[in-house]
Amino acid sequence: MLPDLRGYGWMLWEGLQLTLLVGLASLLLAILLGLLGAWAKLGASRIARGIAGTYTTVVRGVPELLLILLVFYGTPTLIQNTAARWGTPVYINLDPFVSGVLTLGFIYGAFATEVFRGAFLAVPPGQIEAARACGMSRHLTFRRIVLPQVWRFALPGLGNVWMVLIKATALISVIQLDELMRKTQIAVGATKLPFTFYFVASLMYLGITVASMLLQQRFEAMANRGVRRA
Amino acid sequence: MAQTAPALVVEDIHKAFGPLEVLKGVSLSAAEGDVIALIGASGSGKSTLLRCINLLEIPDSGRIRLRGEPLEMTRDRRGQSRPANWRQVDRIRSRLGMVFQSFNLWTHMTVLQNVIEAPVHVLGKPKREVSEQAMALLEKVGIADKASAYPAHLSGGQQQRAAIARALAMEPEVMLFDEPTSALDPELVGDVLRVMRQLAEEGRTMIIVTHEMGFAREVSSEVIYLHQGRIEEQGPPEQVFGSPRSERCRQFLASHLSRDRNGPTAAAVAAVDQPTAS
Ligand SMILES: Nc1ncnc2c1ncn2[C@@H]1O[C@H](COP(=O)(O)OP(=O)(O)O)[C@@H](O)[C@H]1O
Ligand SMILES: [Mg+2]
Repeated sequence: MLPDLRGYGWMLWEGLQLTLLVGLASLLLAILLGLLGAWAKLGASRIARGIAGTYTTVVRGVPELLLILLVFYGTPTLIQNTAARWGTPVYINLDPFVSGVLTLGFIYGAFATEVFRGAFLAVPPGQIEAARACGMSRHLTFRRIVLPQVWRFALPGLGNVWMVLIKATALISVIQLDELMRKTQIAVGATKLPFTFYFVASLMYLGITVASMLLQQRFEAMANRGVRRA
Repeated sequence: MAQTAPALVVEDIHKAFGPLEVLKGVSLSAAEGDVIALIGASGSGKSTLLRCINLLEIPDSGRIRLRGEPLEMTRDRRGQSRPANWRQVDRIRSRLGMVFQSFNLWTHMTVLQNVIEAPVHVLGKPKREVSEQAMALLEKVGIADKASAYPAHLSGGQQQRAAIARALAMEPEVMLFDEPTSALDPELVGDVLRVMRQLAEEGRTMIIVTHEMGFAREVSSEVIYLHQGRIEEQGPPEQVFGSPRSERCRQFLASHLSRDRNGPTAAAVAAVDQPTAS
């Protein structure tokens, strides 16, 4: 029943691994930016709130593909031109992996910001007061009481961010990163079997999503341990 | 010893929320072992007063001293009152135990973890030692068998007793209770009152906001009746309950005592007198 991949199966497998790697690295960056963004949006500083607001609006308003191209092709040129004007010629060549992760992390960090913002607000204020009332500092309260519960409230939303993000990694093929999408295109070009390879690649993306959903259920069960009534 | 400072002194506390003046100059003093019952109609400022004492609300003016140590306050550029030193606030809070109407247990931790959290992380005590003390406290409030249960699996009365154990674990100098039984089903009130009465008998200094008038009369050494942010009546329970000078206090007590006699809490107060069943 398995389709004949003409020896390109191994190549797709390598592409899948790189896709997962790019996805996970981007997710990590998105989570960091999301925590930072939520902290800024909920904080007292008007400047920080302004920056975070601009950030989420920009990401919402600009197509992902455009941002990827802008970062990969645009920023090196910008830096080189600026440096040249100052009389110090530099040559910069961004690594597709690095710029892909930076761009996707930046984009999905905006979505994670909203997820974490909601999650922080979902932590019952009475529990925070109880912590402060026993003499826990703001920092300690955050680390011991807020953060462990934020994961529980953020997990469903983060799961969604991940599923959209992993599909968006296919866009990075435009900057020549050899992830699953690009490997598939190479295989199609070489074998002239578009249906076979696009279909197999689809199954692979679907496989990631299904595995992620199962994993997410496990995580949520762990995070909700004891919290919901049995 | 005449020289010993009172456990807690609160002087001339004012607090407004925007245009709403909630506390209009309240003072009280609790000597070692005093049990002060704070009573008054809903909205009279009882919770706000309690929350000002441990700085969950920042009083606009007034002074607070714990065992003679004054809480340092200052003003920001706009003249807004604020603590001069948040470290001191944290330190003072660690010496005051607070029990909330809605328990506020940390839901992601077991009962035992709730109890040892602050002694370990605020006071830096060794976990082993604290856990032993915590088990003894849970024994005392009658929920030792729930030590490894999560709060969501406990009844309200059990949660509130866990919250009391959590506060006691810090070995506080003064305990603050904000309507600890108001959120409980009537049949669970007695268990919590029994624990509180035991604490009073042990000589703990406590300030208790409560609507359980029978309990207040029996357990307190002083009763304070708050009306619209001012102390309207104050004295030993026999006097305040027996022959209140203020007409408003008399009316308030009349409505509450009749409710006590006929309502579900009458059973709860009676239950306090029963020996512990479990
Ligand atoms: N954080 C707050 N912001 C605005 N108003 C408040 C706040 N806390 C309490 N109040 C108001 O202050 C008054 C006294 O409240 P409270 O101290 O809770 O009374 P009590 O505990 O005696 O019922 C009420 O009118 C209440 O609405
Ligand atoms: Mg209240």
